[in-house]
Amino acid sequence: MKILIIEDEKELVGAIKGFLESEGYLCETAGTYFKAEDCLSAFNYDIIILDLTLPGGNGIDLIKLIKSRNKQAGLLIVSAKNSLDDKIRGLDMGADDYITKPFHLAELNSRIKSLERRRYFDGANELIFNEIKIDIDSNEVYINGTIVDLTKKEYEILVFFVVNRNRVISRESIAEHVWGDNISIADNYDFIYSHIKNLRKKIELKNGRNYLHNIYGIGYKFSER
Amino acid sequence: MRLLQKTNRAYFLVSVTAFVIAGTVIYFVLSFIFDDQLNEKLMADIENVKLMIGKSGNLQNYYPFIESREVHGQSARSYKNIDTLVFDLAEKENISYRQISLVTTINGKKFFIAARDTLLEKSDLLATIAIVITSVFLLLLISMYFINRKLSLNIWKPFYKTLDELKEFSHDKPDFRLSSGSRLEEFTELNNSLEKLTQKVISDYQSLKRFTEDASHEIQTPLSVIQSKMETLMQHPDLKKDQADLINSAYVYTIRISKLTQTLLLLTKIANDQFPERRAVNFSDLLDEKINLYDDHIIGKSLIINKIIEPDCILETNFFLAESLIINLLGNAVKHSNSEGIIHIRLKKNNFEILNTGKPLSAPASKLFDRFYKTDKSSDSYGLGLAIVKEICNLNKWEIKYEYEEGLHKVIVKF
Repeated sequence: MKILIIEDEKELVGAIKGFLESEGYLCETAGTYFKAEDCLSAFNYDIIILDLTLPGGNGIDLIKLIKSRNKQAGLLIVSAKNSLDDKIRGLDMGADDYITKPFHLAELNSRIKSLERRRYFDGANELIFNEIKIDIDSNEVYINGTIVDLTKKEYEILVFFVVNRNRVISRESIAEHVWGDNISIADNYDFIYSHIKNLRKKIELKNGRNYLHNIYGIGYKFSER
Repeated sequence: MRLLQKTNRAYFLVSVTAFVIAGTVIYFVLSFIFDDQLNEKLMADIENVKLMIGKSGNLQNYYPFIESREVHGQSARSYKNIDTLVFDLAEKENISYRQISLVTTINGKKFFIAARDTLLEKSDLLATIAIVITSVFLLLLISMYFINRKLSLNIWKPFYKTLDELKEFSHDKPDFRLSSGSRLEEFTELNNSLEKLTQKVISDYQSLKRFTEDASHEIQTPLSVIQSKMETLMQHPDLKKDQADLINSAYVYTIRISKLTQTLLLLTKIANDQFPERRAVNFSDLLDEKINLYDDHIIGKSLIINKIIEPDCILETNFFLAESLIINLLGNAVKHSNSEGIIHIRLKKNNFEILNTGKPLSAPASKLFDRFYKTDKSSDSYGLGLAIVKEICNLNKWEIKYEYEEGLHKVIVKF
């Protein structure tokens, strides 16, 4: 998978690139409008991450270019918070998804994975982790072949973990993923805790292994250890 | 007190004083002249009677005006001037008279001669004076009032106009202008100064808004960088507990700043009317959806939700702002209600009410919608939620009210 990151903030690009490369993606970066134009005319990408606030031109114009040159590429738009008009315009013009700044890397990963599944694995929209199988289309979870009855939030948390497997996930990013960014996070710590407790219980009940590990005060890690 | 009232009152007081003084002076002057003339006339009458008695030797009597009689054993005396009551035959009552009398010797005999005249004329005269003066006074007062009113109203018209226009002033109306229409230098000057002042207020406010927006915006990018770097750092495999704690608390506070600046940015954007997209929003569905967002909180606090939502309440507004309003109001009700409390949610076509049980506010309710208003200083919230709600209502010209009665906090939004 080849990803183009169009973003002007060097440090942020570095963090995103490092993260995505550790996830096994091949990344290129473009820091200006013109560099992005160059990249888009010369190469093909599978996924493009586009920050709309780009020096040297409006990111919206780049969407047109992407749609004419890189039709097959999945397009994820990054915009400032509360710029709803940009979001709508972006999606109207053919972007596949958007994420607002500042975002959690785990959230970015979750969006990219979802984009990837929708674009490139037609039909088999599934997530598999050892004995756990998640059918994204029907929102069903199977462990060792038997269905597990999860609440909507437990399901969302599990998918978030499986997508971000082997990574430390902060409680903040879980809260934002589940409740959106409008609700005060501190209020949600206890709820995250109890959802995860229930999730563990339900997985264990179906003889699934416990992959959910507490990482000090930071959050959780979903891994074989 | 209005200006016109004040000047009218002053005019009135001055005129009353002037007329009272003038009336008194006229009274004494006229009274003196009248007395003087009456006395002269009576003395002339006495002289005539003396002459006639001297010539004819006959006593002259014309009651009650002239009286003369011969007296014995009295020494001659000069004029004596008294006011006395005399029985009037025609009126059949006692009437005030002025009497001048003397005892004199005519042809060797002694005579008492008195001349009298009624004082009625004097009181008539004074009454007339009073009536005339009062009517002149009233006439003058009334005409003064009307002239003054008309004149003042005309002169002050531009002033009141300016005043009315100023009442309409709001710091977020960048095209505010005062209409100048007075030829009076003072008013033109006033208008010019006011215009300069309002322009200054407007431009200060605009630059403050721009500053808040730019600052919030500029802070976001570094925060994004910090946040992503910390998330990368968290992945380090050999992280010790104390290191993890340090990273975590720095991380949590970074997110806190980030949320704060986002909220400030949102407030500024609402105030700047930067949410132009309006469409029909199904407020009922949106409300139902957002209540679900809080189900954990509701279960956690054992709250009872009592909702009466009229289906398909459609509002022509910005979707994002409607969502923001609902989330903030619901979040507030959930947060501030006591555990095992009740939340009432009622939605009608043009009325949205949200009530929750809880302790009364510790601070004045008038400050409830202010920025950074917190009932609990140690609380994690910024106290911006209700300020956002208020701004959203202002923008949409919705009316918002807060009441507390019988242990219920009640927020009402009228669409």
